Amino acid sequence: MGANAKAGGYTLVICEKPDAARRISEALSGGSGSSSLVEGVPTFTFRRGTEEFVVCSAQGHVYAVSDPFKERSVYPIFDAEWYRLDLVEKGNASAAKRIAAVRKLAMGADHFVNACDFDVEGETIGFNLLRYACEGKEEGALRAKFSTLTSEELVKSFGSAAPRSGQGLAKAGRARHLLDFMWGVNLSRALSLSATASAGGYRMVSIGRVQGPTLKFVVEREAEVQEFVPMPYWKTRGVFESGRMRLTATYSKERIETVVEAVRVREECQGKEGTVTSVRKGVSWLPPNPPFNIGDLQREAYRAFGYPPSRTLQIAERLYLGSLISYPRTGSQKLPRSINFPRVLRGLQEMADYSKEAGAILRGELNPVEGTKVDSAHPAIHPTGENPGKLLDSAEARLYDMIVRRFLSLFAPPAKREKISVVIAVERHEFHVEGARTVFPGWLAYYGKYWSWKDDDVPQVKEGDRLRVAQVHVEEKFDQRPHRFNQSSLLEKMEREGIGTKATRADTISTLLARGYISGESLAVTALGESVIEVADECAPSIVTSELTRRIEGRLDGVEREVEDGRELIRDAVRSITEQMLALRADQEAIGHRLGEASTAIRVAANSLGPCPVCKTGSLKVIRSRKTGKRFVGCTSYQNGCKTSAPLPQRGSIKASRKPCRRCSWPVIYVMGGGHPWRLCVNPSCPSKVKGRDEVQTV
Amino acid sequence: MKCRLCDREAAAELCHHHERAKGRVEAGYAQWVKAYGSIDWKTYLDRVITNAETGQWAKEVAELLVGRLNDKNKT
Repeated sequence: MGANAKAGGYTLVICEKPDAARRISEALSGGSGSSSLVEGVPTFTFRRGTEEFVVCSAQGHVYAVSDPFKERSVYPIFDAEWYRLDLVEKGNASAAKRIAAVRKLAMGADHFVNACDFDVEGETIGFNLLRYACEGKEEGALRAKFSTLTSEELVKSFGSAAPRSGQGLAKAGRARHLLDFMWGVNLSRALSLSATASAGGYRMVSIGRVQGPTLKFVVEREAEVQEFVPMPYWKTRGVFESGRMRLTATYSKERIETVVEAVRVREECQGKEGTVTSVRKGVSWLPPNPPFNIGDLQREAYRAFGYPPSRTLQIAERLYLGSLISYPRTGSQKLPRSINFPRVLRGLQEMADYSKEAGAILRGELNPVEGTKVDSAHPAIHPTGENPGKLLDSAEARLYDMIVRRFLSLFAPPAKREKISVVIAVERHEFHVEGARTVFPGWLAYYGKYWSWKDDDVPQVKEGDRLRVAQVHVEEKFDQRPHRFNQSSLLEKMEREGIGTKATRADTISTLLARGYISGESLAVTALGESVIEVADECAPSIVTSELTRRIEGRLDGVEREVEDGRELIRDAVRSITEQMLALRADQEAIGHRLGEASTAIRVAANSLGPCPVCKTGSLKVIRSRKTGKRFVGCTSYQNGCKTSAPLPQRGSIKASRKPCRRCSWPVIYVMGGGHPWRLCVNPSCPSKVKGRDEVQTV
Repeated sequence: MKCRLCDREAAAELCHHHERAKGRVEAGYAQWVKAYGSIDWKTYLDRVITNAETGQWAKEVAELLVGRLNDKNKT
């Protein structure tokens, strides 16, 4: 029976994503349900016992906080409200359809189940649909909680679905959205309008509650890097010989501060004989690393594969929706027994890649190693044991393998390492040499693909052995300057400082990159990013300090636990935002001058494609024709007589590759939009363009 | 007023970034003297400039200071 034909009396299940809706329907119906389109949205219908169910889904957030004016020159704005996403983001037809579908289905429903992801965002999505599209059903609705989309867990979670005792999570989620909107819109508009007044054209300069302090970390690190003056020191190593045996040992003082001292060590040891005064052997047992929470997974994927944190999160979510792993947005490093380890391991045993390892683990006791971090909503990330029915793409396959191997390693014994430490005395000087090797791999047998220690053997010597000092090397060294952040280490810093949430940190970094505040693999600050922080530091420092953001995070946690009133938090935030805005407004002209210059420089740099290969003096840039509105390439030396120009694709965004064409030396661009980015030489007469066909390659 | 070494605004000759870097370069000299026993100011600056670990702002300040020394020697 199609959902359109419902006369009433069914239970409406609201999910966060279409894949989750399909899985829930399959699990609860045992595959006997039917699907239909309601307002163009796939909807699933089935009977379970005497009860009829209709399952539909959102597509992430379908409501968003906005202001009634939607006019970028208006601020302050404190009367923000929740609006349908299609009214906030013009043309978001998907949100409109999904709301219309839920609204229509709600009319015939007797009972409601919120089956969105069980976390702050999921709770907010479900709450909003129940309140607005279902017209006030948020209080009586049941809550189905699950951490995996396996049939077993879904059936169990619907069997125990109960009304929420409170709405802490949803209240915290809604307060966070409201607060972040007011924070971002007011302070960004204050900065943007200052910059616009100075630059003469609209300049978007944004700042967010978490964005500001995060950007400041990068700016501070950049200053440390750029101001750095290296200090010299010396490192001394002795090469010892006895018969055919030869070993290199490091001087006991690893860092010698003066050249005089380093040279003295060499003079006093060179050509002498040393005695082995101590040989210490030891064994250490090294336990597996704890189970993955989202931060650990993002760091490990960056280290092993170079995936930015936001990409790892996206891949993990796809694996979750495919029912292959548990819910990834978790802070937990715990694996409760309710996970049913034997079932998961038996599932993995069915897969050729893990059959041997899972089988070996199943023969032992199943007590996984756990970490200290807890998350009341979900356990640590783990495989479900379900076989990937379809072929995973390479990124999914890699991440899945890492998650499975990490999980398997948790049940394995510690790795055993043998260590040896030797001390050689040459008169009053001491040299040390250490070696270690893995003698029992333990958990490394499962996870060694992603983690290993270097083995270094030490020649066999015993106490009292006499060794000739063949050489003493004195090496001049310099302190290394600090490393810039990369996306992974910045995420770690945010975690340590307690700003943002596990679900949003990666997005914050992506936003800073998209805004042009930071750039590169090793994150460097742009002139605009630096100006934003300088302006904020001078006029309204609290918007870029961690303290305020951390305090707000703490209070949002309080709202979640229902020990703090969300409305009071918003009132306090309004006071704080007003203070910062007044401070920014007081210095509007000076701020505008600085930001306007920096944002113009960024815009000019973004439009610049590279040096003009014809006149060799100007540079080619993207120009938009005032007459036709079309964009094209032109030379900055046009006024001096260079008429070089070329057409450009009119759709998609353009980014200079910074590498000239190998055939003609004209700039090469990437055209992005829709599918894969395209690489294109802008020279219409490039020798590589045969028969009028552009040299177009996927990147 | 613009910084002598970059486009940033400056209260005096240098912007606050280059001013701080200058402080680092000057403070570093005493440590280099201690480390090498003796090293003259010009050699120190030359080595700071060519050292791969030196930060860009510190390098620019050291170049400015070397330029000044050269100007002084000419006169």
